[in-house]
Amino acid sequence: MKNPERGARGASRREFLKTAGAGLGAVAGVPGAAQGFDLESFFQRHFRELTQEDLDDLLLRLEQKYSKQYRKPVQVGAIGPNDGVVFGYGLDISRCIGCRRCVYACIEENNQSRDPEIHWIRVLEYEREHAVRSIDPDEGNPFYDHDLVPAEGKLYLPVACQQCENPPCVAACPTQATWQEPDGIVVIDYDWCIGCRYCMAACPYGARHFNWREPEIPAEEINPDTHIIGNRPRPHGVVEKCTFCIQRTRKGRYPACVEACPVGARKFGNLLDPESEIRYLLEHKRTFALKAELATNPRFFYFYG
Amino acid sequence: MPSQGAGAGGIGPGGPRAPWVLLAVVILAFVMLAVAGGPLALRTERPYPSRPLGLEPEPALLPPPPIDDEYFPCEDCHEEESADPKVRELDEHDNIELAHGDLWCLDCHDADQRDLLHLSDASPVEMAESWRLCTRCHAKKIPDWRAGVHGKRTGHWRGPKEYWTCVVCHDPHSPLFKPLEPRPPPKRASEIQLRIYGEQEETSDEEP
Repeated sequence: MKNPERGARGASRREFLKTAGAGLGAVAGVPGAAQGFDLESFFQRHFRELTQEDLDDLLLRLEQKYSKQYRKPVQVGAIGPNDGVVFGYGLDISRCIGCRRCVYACIEENNQSRDPEIHWIRVLEYEREHAVRSIDPDEGNPFYDHDLVPAEGKLYLPVACQQCENPPCVAACPTQATWQEPDGIVVIDYDWCIGCRYCMAACPYGARHFNWREPEIPAEEINPDTHIIGNRPRPHGVVEKCTFCIQRTRKGRYPACVEACPVGARKFGNLLDPESEIRYLLEHKRTFALKAELATNPRFFYFYG
Repeated sequence: MPSQGAGAGGIGPGGPRAPWVLLAVVILAFVMLAVAGGPLALRTERPYPSRPLGLEPEPALLPPPPIDDEYFPCEDCHEEESADPKVRELDEHDNIELAHGDLWCLDCHDADQRDLLHLSDASPVEMAESWRLCTRCHAKKIPDWRAGVHGKRTGHWRGPKEYWTCVVCHDPHSPLFKPLEPRPPPKRASEIQLRIYGEQEETSDEEP
């Protein structure tokens, strides 16, 4: 619409691909050929290069695919960033009790693979005595298993994507499949990710996770409210991570982990709004960032409430 | 001096050379722009739908405190006009664990209007506004709670939200937070690998 020439070219390209795809199927003589190998998705452009028409086509194609796969209507949205909003997150480590309610709320909201399992949030357990001196996310124990939490003398530190202002993962990606959006959320185009995992090596927080196998999510557990660069079901062989619940937060809602926390340790809001919860805690509480010495400038702040 | 010529913008003794310098600078700038804006930096061709900021603050909802219907309204049982102020064991309420400082029932519950609470100056407080009573002692928590940093909010970070009041999270009779059963820990990388490559490993084990 902004560029009619490009729009027209895009349309003719799509028509060509459709005909070519049908032709290939006919030549191969296999009825399922057009389904298994889709020329349109093969020639699909990077998310940020898609015209509005291309994007609408892509969303429709994905919705049809997922709705069929999970036998219920699945919506794939592409809601953009809000004007004047940069998201920030606060976590009160003096309150976290390590119950992992956030971990599972995240899995359900964001359609993480149940098998092989992927957890975007890891809750790390520390000896309280040691943690007073320093908290290193490389040293905590995520595998603790107690009958009741908090366990005596322990401290808990949930870690997910820190949504760095200066994200090393974005710099490492050879295909520009991951980038930072204007509202600060670092996202991944799952169709451009080649699965090289350089970003995982670059991330100092271990926040990125790889789909080693076709992810498995029971159809009855799929969250049908999805975002194309967020929680839509991922293909095999791509990297994924926390997106601050992009499908919720861009519509003004709190992330799922904030709502799941039974002790109210999780805070979320707009860093550019002086009246927001996140600004209040930055101004009134002692805050710190993980591995601040790396100058990644996380927009995820830990604080003592 | 060539620099003088360039600075004069093509007028004066350095004139004939200046256009070339300018042209070179312009070409260089174009090349740099093309490199920076070309394959190295993807740009969004499709304009993002931009949405203006909403109005703040939005009206907030206070979820009702968890009141046990079996015991409320209190006046169903407490029909007598005034309560016995003596501190004693209460057989009817032995399900209540009282662990809140040195408080006794009638420090918070009103002795005459049995369905109400009261402040230290004896002014009545509705059950639904119990936070007005809590903050008489715990006043330090008020600024953090009002800002949404102590306690919990659900709903919208921008839009209607629920502010959880004190008694939704803290049992007023025993306010210390109770330990919870944690959800299961993540699988170790080695366990996940076994599940993915399990079949191949079994066959390779059998071969030798």
